[in-house]
Amino acid sequence: MNTAALTIGESHEGNVCVVTLSGRVDSTNANDLMARLKALISSGEKSIVVDCGAVLYLTSAAFRALLVATDEAERNAAKFVLCSLGGHVRELFEMGGFLDVFSIYSSRAEAVAKLA
Amino acid sequence: MIRSVDLVIHNDLAEIAVVRDALDQLGGDLQVPMSALMPLQVALDEVVSNVVKYSWPDGGKHEVFVRITVSATGVALDIFDDGRPFDPRVAPEPIPPPKGQRPRPGGVGIHMTKKLVDKLAYERVDGRNHTSLIKHCAVGVALKEV
Repeated sequence: MNTAALTIGESHEGNVCVVTLSGRVDSTNANDLMARLKALISSGEKSIVVDCGAVLYLTSAAFRALLVATDEAERNAAKFVLCSLGGHVRELFEMGGFLDVFSIYSSRAEAVAKLA
Repeated sequence: MIRSVDLVIHNDLAEIAVVRDALDQLGGDLQVPMSALMPLQVALDEVVSNVVKYSWPDGGKHEVFVRITVSATGVALDIFDDGRPFDPRVAPEPIPPPKGQRPRPGGVGIHMTKKLVDKLAYERVDGRNHTSLIKHCAVGVALKEV
């Protein structure tokens, strides 16, 4: 297993901000993720895609961060979606009962096209 | 052959990285399959973060003891703390949100933990919580050689 914890990348595709997560999102770094997402929303980003394609696993701390970001986006009239949940990561979403809670797209291209 | 590692961390979320990395290291060395290692990492994070956040409501610096044991048939994680009693087996299920509202994550971690491991046990001994998680899996050939 890759021992790197979490890297958070950021790029733009047109007016869509894509946040790429790589590694694991757990209780040691979920607050960093939450802070980054909140900062993006408060800086005025109106379309945010969180690409989970390179996430190894996530814990309930990560779900909390994503829920807070979703609420924050709603308050700021921003769109906030997730994409590319791998098999194991998707199972964790399902286990936590979160598959229907977030807007989830199967690929980054699909998510970006939807938000552009 | 059984291999185990004992770790002590403090009630600081950042220090959970120590037990996470130790489980990675031992799991990697002994060829614990990824299909078992990832659920174990999630379950370990849920239980230890729960202890760190809720065991000592009055704060202060405290220790959490974690033992990781790998045998040929699986992995056991034992977590000990001297905080207030908490039996995760009887933790309430997450409350479904009112219609049209998003769920809150409270209780989800323990609920997931129960599904991720084969056994979740708890005992209160000598004023300490002892939570143990067991995941059965066939551990790689390396264990036979150590």
